Amino acid sequence: MERTIPNILIIGGGVAGMAAAIALADQDVVVYLVEKENGPGGQAAKWACMATDTCENCGACLSIEMADQVKKQKNLILHLNTSVKNLNKKGQGYEMVLENKISFFVEKIIMATGFSPFNPVQINSLHYDAYKNVITTADLNTLLKDETLSRYFNQKPNPKIAFIQCVGSRNREQGADYCSQVCCKISLRHANKLIHLYPESDITLFYMDLQIIGKEIRPLFQSLSKNIELTQGVPAEILENSQTNMLTLVSEDKETLSRVSKAFDLIVLSVGMQPSQTLEATADLLDLEPNSWGFFNTVPGVPLKDVVVAGCAHGPKNILSSQQDGRIAAAKVVEDLGLNIKKKKGIAIFGEGVQADQTALSISSKGYPTYLFGPGTTLSEDTAVTVLNKSRMISLSGTAGNFSLYYESKNKKQTLTCTAIIAAFEPKQTLNRLNSLKNPCLSLDAFSELIEKTPNACPDETAILLDYFGPEFKSFAGLALKTAVKAKALGKNISIIMNKMLVYGALGQRHYDEARQKNVDFFRFETSEDLKFKDSGNGFLIKLKEATLPFIELDLHCDCLVLPPSLSPARGFKDAAALLGQTLDREGFLQSANTRHGLTQSPRKGIFFAGTCHDEADPDDLNTEIDEILSVFSTTHFDLPKIDTGVEINQKMCAQCLTCIRICPHSAIIMNEKNRPQIIPDACFSCHLCVSNCPAYAIESKTLTNDQIARKIKKDTVTILACERSAALAAGPLTLPDRISLIEIPCACRASSDVILKALLNGASKVIISGCHSENCRSLKGSNVADSSVRQVLSIPGVESSKVIWEPIAANETKKFEQIISKA
Amino acid sequence: MDNATINKESALYKLLNQYPLGDNTSECLTCGACNSRCTWFDGEGGPLPRQIIRMAALGLDELLVNSDMLWDCLVCNRCTQVCPMGITMDKVVRKARSLAIADGKIPEDVKIGIKRRLETGDVNGLTTEEFVETVEWVSEEFVDEVDDPKAEIPHDIKGTKLLYLPNPRELGINLLHLTAMAKLFYATKETWTLSAHHTDVTNWGYFVGKDDITEKMALMVVEPAEKLGVETLVLSECGHGYHVLKYLLEDIIGRKPEFEVLSMPELIVRYAQKGVLKFDPGVHPYKIAYHDPCNIARKSGGYDAPRELLSMVCDGVVELIPNREDGICCGGGGGILQDSHSTPKRMITGKPKADQIKATGLQNLATACLSCHRQLGELSKHFKLGVTVDTVASLASEALIL
Repeated sequence: MERTIPNILIIGGGVAGMAAAIALADQDVVVYLVEKENGPGGQAAKWACMATDTCENCGACLSIEMADQVKKQKNLILHLNTSVKNLNKKGQGYEMVLENKISFFVEKIIMATGFSPFNPVQINSLHYDAYKNVITTADLNTLLKDETLSRYFNQKPNPKIAFIQCVGSRNREQGADYCSQVCCKISLRHANKLIHLYPESDITLFYMDLQIIGKEIRPLFQSLSKNIELTQGVPAEILENSQTNMLTLVSEDKETLSRVSKAFDLIVLSVGMQPSQTLEATADLLDLEPNSWGFFNTVPGVPLKDVVVAGCAHGPKNILSSQQDGRIAAAKVVEDLGLNIKKKKGIAIFGEGVQADQTALSISSKGYPTYLFGPGTTLSEDTAVTVLNKSRMISLSGTAGNFSLYYESKNKKQTLTCTAIIAAFEPKQTLNRLNSLKNPCLSLDAFSELIEKTPNACPDETAILLDYFGPEFKSFAGLALKTAVKAKALGKNISIIMNKMLVYGALGQRHYDEARQKNVDFFRFETSEDLKFKDSGNGFLIKLKEATLPFIELDLHCDCLVLPPSLSPARGFKDAAALLGQTLDREGFLQSANTRHGLTQSPRKGIFFAGTCHDEADPDDLNTEIDEILSVFSTTHFDLPKIDTGVEINQKMCAQCLTCIRICPHSAIIMNEKNRPQIIPDACFSCHLCVSNCPAYAIESKTLTNDQIARKIKKDTVTILACERSAALAAGPLTLPDRISLIEIPCACRASSDVILKALLNGASKVIISGCHSENCRSLKGSNVADSSVRQVLSIPGVESSKVIWEPIAANETKKFEQIISKA
Repeated sequence: MDNATINKESALYKLLNQYPLGDNTSECLTCGACNSRCTWFDGEGGPLPRQIIRMAALGLDELLVNSDMLWDCLVCNRCTQVCPMGITMDKVVRKARSLAIADGKIPEDVKIGIKRRLETGDVNGLTTEEFVETVEWVSEEFVDEVDDPKAEIPHDIKGTKLLYLPNPRELGINLLHLTAMAKLFYATKETWTLSAHHTDVTNWGYFVGKDDITEKMALMVVEPAEKLGVETLVLSECGHGYHVLKYLLEDIIGRKPEFEVLSMPELIVRYAQKGVLKFDPGVHPYKIAYHDPCNIARKSGGYDAPRELLSMVCDGVVELIPNREDGICCGGGGGILQDSHSTPKRMITGKPKADQIKATGLQNLATACLSCHRQLGELSKHFKLGVTVDTVASLASEALIL
């Protein structure tokens, strides 16, 4: 029987649409990607690089790289500058007509129409259209990208800049009672970038509740809070001083107990996300009903069977979450079309708590033989999960699709072969204590359980204390809200004392609104010093300097004081990281922050992370992470190595020094049965680090040997060795002058000192090595390796320091690239 | 530092937290948007709207009732305009004031004014005899003014089409304004009247948040007007009078009145559009700035009539920035102007307005409220702005072609 290849339509070429398309690259399908702009990339492609000395993990550069990938994708047909005009149900799919009259039949549709930044013209009092120096975060991105921001400062070395959060978000009166999820992070990164560019600038960030969520934002907030002024309270009006032409904001002044007006050179409105207008039109065509905000993140936004919604059409998301959502959408399509019928191989899961059990259960329910290294306490007796409790891990070898796990169980050494491993450990929970108190406090978990199981025992007056021991974790803030509403329903008084409320997730703001409506009392404090606790009978007296009432100290009595625990890396994380060949992040949790590998993956293919062992995650996040991991399983053929890595080990020259095995960032080189190092193609990312570092010159690049590079060097030209996923992409839109010659390299680490020296010897007037910003390298240390190669060459007597330069340039830093070559 | 105890059993807490969406103070997001909008923005002291709401939300009645903020608030609702939860400051402040009054805390002048208004129907205590005497005397002057022996300022006539409800100032220190209005009524060629029961457009019950007094005062206007059987009640130019008698009236008295309510500028624009009233803008050969009274503009949506009228009687209207729903209070709102001890404070609250006027560089300013008119005049003097302030209707009267 003849099998027709299914057609899949992706509407929208932004991050989610591109991620979905790329996830379908290895599938036997034809992907039609329709984008209304003149190229794929979406909103993220308009954003500036937020890197300072290191990458700040915003992910914007990924959109440029993904666009490049999409353009080269073999099973993809790109329709640009057009949109869907008509869609008619026909048999098992849709007959689709584009604005440009082209029509075709599609089986499945992925709707990835993205978002539009909120347009503040709608809010008269902000005078966005009238005052030149009132801009949005979207405008700031453009200005940073074009390197034209300075003209706003009139040559002032110390410009005063304000950020105003929540413009177009968290506003029920404007029909936007949702948090846009990304704006706090964007503004914090922007402020960080501005401090980097203008060290003397004076930055104030006006916020409602600063959403400090996630592993990359916590450390950024800690360092940034020392360099900028953070003011709670968002001004809703901007006025211009007619004498000085400075912009003026009025805010409460805690010192004088009055209000104060402050003058600024530039005011940045941190605008929220709205559904794109394309979404509305497309939803109409498909007869889908979005929710009251225009998104599909809550009911009634449940789409039809043949349509999968992805990315910001689903609701506000950051770049990495959009990418994640795109992948999940692709997997859904693959599943619906029945394309993932290949034999499902074993998956190992590590972890000793609910999260690991939940992960194991979800994976096993999709038909994968699942092995849980942990007690599996919450799993039922008849579970399909094989529970391998009380096993001691010894080592891990092999690569994705073919891992061998060596472990010891019941004093016997055992081996498990599996396709992939998911680390879902539990972090350490420390019960917090208030030392000054004799009366016992209750943990948040215990209080929540008490409300659920013995509601009659709920005390009359309860206070839940958040943020006291550091910025709260979102799962605890969420649990506090939920529990408080339940206590209120029992007729009890309940207060939440906090520095800020985290309103993450589609319904976060609505949950917070509901709690206030139901008269849960909320108190704000600025620092933990604003609070004093005393025992009072069997309960407590809390003396509180409330942030909104700074002229008075409030006395709050409660029978019961509830404290959430603190989360910290568990003792086993280090060993687990070592076993998996991974590094820990700055705070000691699993998975180093690196946007190149998305939210759940690692540089070693087949190793995944889920839950709170690697990032802040609530139960919803965990489910999304599991979905993403499953999407990788269903769209990747781990056991079919077919990538030509372009790298070979010449076994005759190999000295078996094992350097390559030791340094490979992807653990892609193994010792084979002949005791020889062997590159496993499907685990290799072709970074060429081994090529640059093999002391015996035994590892050869087929297309990019040192000699081949040397031959490309032109005399008296500036040679730029540019990483193909960053600097070379940044150069893409430019026409380079003849005095510049660009050589694409797979990773900055390919520029070994040998290569640089050869370039100089062959007459290059200057050698610039350019790659990703530190910590954004897909192969982790590539940029650092290139940097040290440059320094090594410069340490040779006679090499002028102006002749060899290391410049990190991200894929979205075209202007920076232009500036560098114009000076070269 | 003083301390206070949270009290969820307090009177104000119970008053305010039972409101539905929008006025439930416990819904406050503590976002701080309100603070940035207070008209006291460059001055010392004055209210911080968020503190008022928070005191109310946490049941800190005593603190709030004793706070100067309560009476310093201009009830202009600039803060309300930006509240993401739609909490109406005007309602909160007035409820809190009503509690303060129960505690005996009320500016003396306001207290006396309310007493007189309830006893005589007029805040200045004008008696019926004084009213008749004043109106008949002004009426004689009026005959000369329009040069028509049959012209008059009628009073207490039943079944006329229009009934004019003046501002007490028009029957006291500003009689010329009454003459000017009479000229406009005369030119409409409609039957019209004044009434001895209708000498006062104001309603100070609204300022102090006493719903019973507000209703009583409103009924003191509505019921006699219905007895007279008029078609249209025409309000003198008064901000809160307009808000109470036009925008809130049905809520306050619980029914529709048997007549239509128009402000003086609205009436004039209507007759001008019909072609009955004609104006010579050449009388005022200058551009004029317009000040939005908060109660008429932001709080009742009355943005257009005064502007339309000004454009007919002058060389064009210039907008103050900001304006309309974002307009800045003159600094005399919420009852502060009615307190004779408030003058120094009003020169602080009015500073932003003065700056705004200065920025236009114009010599002429109009408004549609006699309270704003007085405050703006005082600002011009205090800040040496050299600005002539007129009401919109009086300018129309001057430009009228008879």
